[in-house]
Amino acid sequence: MPNTWSVTITRLVVALVAGALIGWWYGSVAAGLFAAAMGLLAWHLYHLYKLDRWLKTNDLEDFPTGLGIWPDTFARVSFFRGRARRRGKRLRALLKEFRLSASAFPDAGVILNSDNDLLYFNKAARELLGLKKKSDRGQRIENLIRVPAFLEYLRNGDFSEPGEFQLLPSLDVWVSCRIVPYGPEQRLVVLQDISRSKRLETMRRDFLANASHELRTPLTVITGYLDTLEGDEGLPDYMQHPLTEMNAQAARMRTLLEDLLRLSELESSELSSREERVDVAALTSAAKQSAKALEHCPDKVEVKVNSGIGILGVHSELQSVISNLVVNAVNHTERDGRIEIHWDADDEGGRLSVVDSGIGIDEDDIPRLTERFYRIDAGRSRDKGGTGLGLAIVKHALIRHEAELEIDSTPGIGSRFTCIFPPNRLA
Amino acid sequence: MNDQFSTHIYRKFNENLEGLRTNVMEMGGLVEKQVTDAIEAIVSGDSELGLRVAQDDYKVNAMEVQIDEECNRVLATMSPAAADLRLLITVIKTITDLERIGDEAERIGKLAAQLATEERPSGSYRELRSLGEHVIEMLHDSLDAFSRLDPVDAISVVEEDKLVDEEYDRISRECISLMMEDPRNIRRFMDVSWVARSLERIGDHATNISEYVIYLVKGKDIRHTETDQLRAQVIGNKD
Repeated sequence: MPNTWSVTITRLVVALVAGALIGWWYGSVAAGLFAAAMGLLAWHLYHLYKLDRWLKTNDLEDFPTGLGIWPDTFARVSFFRGRARRRGKRLRALLKEFRLSASAFPDAGVILNSDNDLLYFNKAARELLGLKKKSDRGQRIENLIRVPAFLEYLRNGDFSEPGEFQLLPSLDVWVSCRIVPYGPEQRLVVLQDISRSKRLETMRRDFLANASHELRTPLTVITGYLDTLEGDEGLPDYMQHPLTEMNAQAARMRTLLEDLLRLSELESSELSSREERVDVAALTSAAKQSAKALEHCPDKVEVKVNSGIGILGVHSELQSVISNLVVNAVNHTERDGRIEIHWDADDEGGRLSVVDSGIGIDEDDIPRLTERFYRIDAGRSRDKGGTGLGLAIVKHALIRHEAELEIDSTPGIGSRFTCIFPPNRLA
Repeated sequence: MNDQFSTHIYRKFNENLEGLRTNVMEMGGLVEKQVTDAIEAIVSGDSELGLRVAQDDYKVNAMEVQIDEECNRVLATMSPAAADLRLLITVIKTITDLERIGDEAERIGKLAAQLATEERPSGSYRELRSLGEHVIEMLHDSLDAFSRLDPVDAISVVEEDKLVDEEYDRISRECISLMMEDPRNIRRFMDVSWVARSLERIGDHATNISEYVIYLVKGKDIRHTETDQLRAQVIGNKD
């Protein structure tokens, strides 16, 4: 209030004048002024002392009284102190809310700064990672979670995909990890226990491999006898046709089992080795030859190899890839159609494509093509001896070679299946 | 200097030494993975995994060389003293033990590849798995103790070593009796007892690391103290 100041100034002037007058009365104006000034100073200092003492306590309400401008000042300070305290209380309540919800959060959450120091971790994190509530804060996360896969994921900086790794020291605990940068330098790390789904995955894979393996043996026996019977001269004529049928079906079962086994082998998420260099020209010409040997093969099959660069990987797997793609093309193209096999490669990558002028694929079907046993027209492909696993095999073999499959198709015109290999898989 | 460690809140060393500590922990993590994979290879008869472990040992050796050079550099340029110097010494000793553990893991990996070609016994190497898990836990705990500079955790590891030695003796005896039963078993159980030996050695190295940690934190050399006196000596006097 401006009034208070004007009052204060007025009082100051009055006091000084009074002092001067009294001094004049006693003979020395200067002494009088000096005394008055000193008195004023002492009075203000006293109030300052009261303020200082009050500030040292935590008391909010009981601010000291005073005269002149001081009561106002005291009241103002008290007001600000009160406001700050209320604000602090609100913040603490908010923080408590957050802590409670973070505790309830089922996944492990950890907050890191740019030095990878542990700023905060919730209860689930403590339990999953074995962190200690008080003493581990401020510690670098790399010192406590030392799994090489995690360190690599953390330092790489590419958090577009979650990382999966075994949490040591246990052999059985698998964890999926996502890292989300936020703010100027903080990062949120969320970890989920996926041991169960990993176990299920392993069980499924083992079951598939075992079942396929076990079924092979009886099948071999059956096929053996069928072969013998078929070759038997004394066989009655009416049995000829059924036998041929049985043999064909048995052969189909064998192919199916082989494909299943192949698939379960390929499904392991390990990448295939990069030791061997596969010559694409040889691969494609062999594919052309086996295509020509097929019954329904169209007349025109061309191979265009535009680069001498080869692929680093496993020959048998790449052979599966191209063979499955070519067989699909043959099965879906008319006699008078055309099939082309292309290979282009440069610094940016390699593209291996199989193009056909066949019946094409509906846009809706394309995303599901690589699913196991998925068929667009079940009757047709079963007749032609397809197992429904071909594209699934192609997909997994390509994953193992760090490659991708691109499918383009127009119904009635034809289809193009392209395998795109990254530069680190070329030589 | 000891009060630098006596509080529970984590305190940092200076930048250079912090980086060094993290490097050691990274090497520790790699070694932990090697040992884990090696044991997994034995238990599941995965020869490919075993050979991979053996191949990857060069990474462990490379890290030892790199950290050693870093230590020399710090020693030369910083001339550290007191706690910093003790940390440096601990680092140098620890990486040596870690490198040896790596070698043992390599040995186990190769043996796993060999054992995979032989017929698996009905127990499926259960005892080896148990000993292996025991030893991995010791290694993990000793590295955690180093991270946290916690002497109490370190002591538990030292005490565990006795149990591991006993477990090793049991396996050893069992191998001998199985070999005597049937001479055809000799090849296989010789390999098994080599694996057990390597695991027991890994346990010893983990114990060494824990002893270094105790020295680092308490300034006490407890390497040749009797186990029953350990706790009293280390925790008793809070210095």
